[in-house]
Amino acid sequence: MLKYFFQRMLLLIPMVIVISLLAFIGLELTPGDPLTAMLSPDQMSSMTTEELDAMRESLGLNDPMLIRYGRWVINLLKGDLGISVMSGSPIKDIIKNLLPATIILTMVALVVSTLIGLILGIFAAIKQNSIVDYLSSVLGVLGISIPQFFIGILAILFFAVRLQWFPAQGRTDIGLNFWQSLKYLVLPSFSLGITLTAALMRHTRNSMLDVLNKDYVKTARAKGLPEWKVYTFHVFRNAMMPISVMILLRLPMLIGGAVVIEQVFGYAGIGNRLLTAINASDYQLVLIIILLLSIVALFASVLIDLFTAVLDPRVRLGSSKNQGGA
Amino acid sequence: MAETAAVMEQRKPKKSSLAKRNTERFLRNKLAVMGLLIVLFVVVLCLIAPLLTDYDPAKISLSERIQAPSSTHLFGTDKIGRDVFARVLYGGRMSILIGLSGAIGGMILGVIIGSFCGLYGGWLDSFFVKVAELVSSIPQLLLVLVLVAIVGQSMRNLIFVFIFTGWIATFRLVRGRFFSLREESFVEASRAFGISNVSIAFRHILPNCLGPVVVQLTLNTAGFILQEAALSFIGLGVPSSVPTWGNIMDAAKEIMVISNYPWLWVFPGVAIALFVLGVNFFGDGLRDVFDPNQM
Repeated sequence: MLKYFFQRMLLLIPMVIVISLLAFIGLELTPGDPLTAMLSPDQMSSMTTEELDAMRESLGLNDPMLIRYGRWVINLLKGDLGISVMSGSPIKDIIKNLLPATIILTMVALVVSTLIGLILGIFAAIKQNSIVDYLSSVLGVLGISIPQFFIGILAILFFAVRLQWFPAQGRTDIGLNFWQSLKYLVLPSFSLGITLTAALMRHTRNSMLDVLNKDYVKTARAKGLPEWKVYTFHVFRNAMMPISVMILLRLPMLIGGAVVIEQVFGYAGIGNRLLTAINASDYQLVLIIILLLSIVALFASVLIDLFTAVLDPRVRLGSSKNQGGA
Repeated sequence: MAETAAVMEQRKPKKSSLAKRNTERFLRNKLAVMGLLIVLFVVVLCLIAPLLTDYDPAKISLSERIQAPSSTHLFGTDKIGRDVFARVLYGGRMSILIGLSGAIGGMILGVIIGSFCGLYGGWLDSFFVKVAELVSSIPQLLLVLVLVAIVGQSMRNLIFVFIFTGWIATFRLVRGRFFSLREESFVEASRAFGISNVSIAFRHILPNCLGPVVVQLTLNTAGFILQEAALSFIGLGVPSSVPTWGNIMDAAKEIMVISNYPWLWVFPGVAIALFVLGVNFFGDGLRDVFDPNQM
């Protein structure tokens, strides 16, 4: 198991390198360079072209691209993420303040919608063709068809403006206890997770029905196992495989969706900052945020992969054949 | 000649009976038929927009700002007095056009790359598999965001970005089908007859992939319409001068609008949901027709 874990982590390294290279190329393609970020326009215009060139030379901006990329990566690894042109503050501080909020939002949405989606899907499969099944399949299509931000707006209207159960917008850290900050999380994570819940519900139902028709399920029933044992040990465990693939596929969408949902709720997370940075053409900040969010997505997918491997010995044995059932 | 004609005659009814069986199977699926009807209904409404409303979606009328729905303005008017009904209809044209052309472009790209990789394999194949893995590991909305930020905001650029990010699912599908069908005896037989690889790929294998590819097309269309709406809503999709469903909902960023002027955002929101719902029902129905095992 541990070996499988390290293998998966090693596979991440080339991916992260390529993504960071792409981010760097993106940075190169966008107008402006670190010099324009460091100096004010007034300072720029008061200097001659030779002086600017000399400054570029001394900063190493005229070196070949690969060398500059290497330097950029080393700086990133050292924790020097550069300075945001827009606000003048170090990007590191911005990330440190805002990224956790986004990760919490996404995690809550992921965990809650996975649980609800699984439970509803299993229920629909067990009670196949009942009214519950029919209702849940209609709700499932509805859930993947309504835009998340529309659900968010409706949630604000009903639960924040009309019923006043939850705050409509904003998230502040100062002076809030756990329960208070939880209140700010409910509506955004609900709106963010609803698509995943619906998709998972549909997928779980189909996957369960698929497995229910397999011969080994019939065998288990013929052996006289009680129904709950058949479902827990024979059906659910095997049905989980395609379901976890589905979660893997949907995970990047969840992180992308967080950017939109943060905008709807004025939630102070990294996605909200990303949009202001794009509008202000603060490209260094934009690409670092994209890089970090992509890495978060990659790591999360490895975790889900590992979870799958725990459930299904075929996965871990497939990649390390000589290792028995660790 | 007469013989061939006779053979052709024999063939024809067989073919049409398969089509007939598939149509019947589709028509039996009530939700799928409903989906198709919803899609057609929305498309037709958007296309005949000039017949349904006399208002120009872009015409500003400051004397009629923020009016609630009434008989003169069916869906009310927005903050600068534009007729929301006209905007939803004309905006629908744009949203559907963007979603559909992005999905079709992605489908064509995916089919081409997928068939070449599936046919030849080798380094070309492993290269594109890696590219697909990479592109799909980056959150798609973020990728679209960055690309739009780099190439600039316009409808054409948005469609290109959708094509660029939307070929992967089709690519995987086609490639997978090629790998499994390539070993089938009818392909071996064609090869034994000396038929060229390209002809085998496009005449014999590809038609067998079309079912899932069309289903994927509906999924992508639905997905792109949702993405366009989300992007335009956060102000990074289509420029706000062009009405699209997402652009119209842009107004709903203020609590005041959300609570007091719901007609500014409810109608376009319902339009998106209705259309995407129709596309999804339709796609589900198609999948059942093409692949009855998946039920």
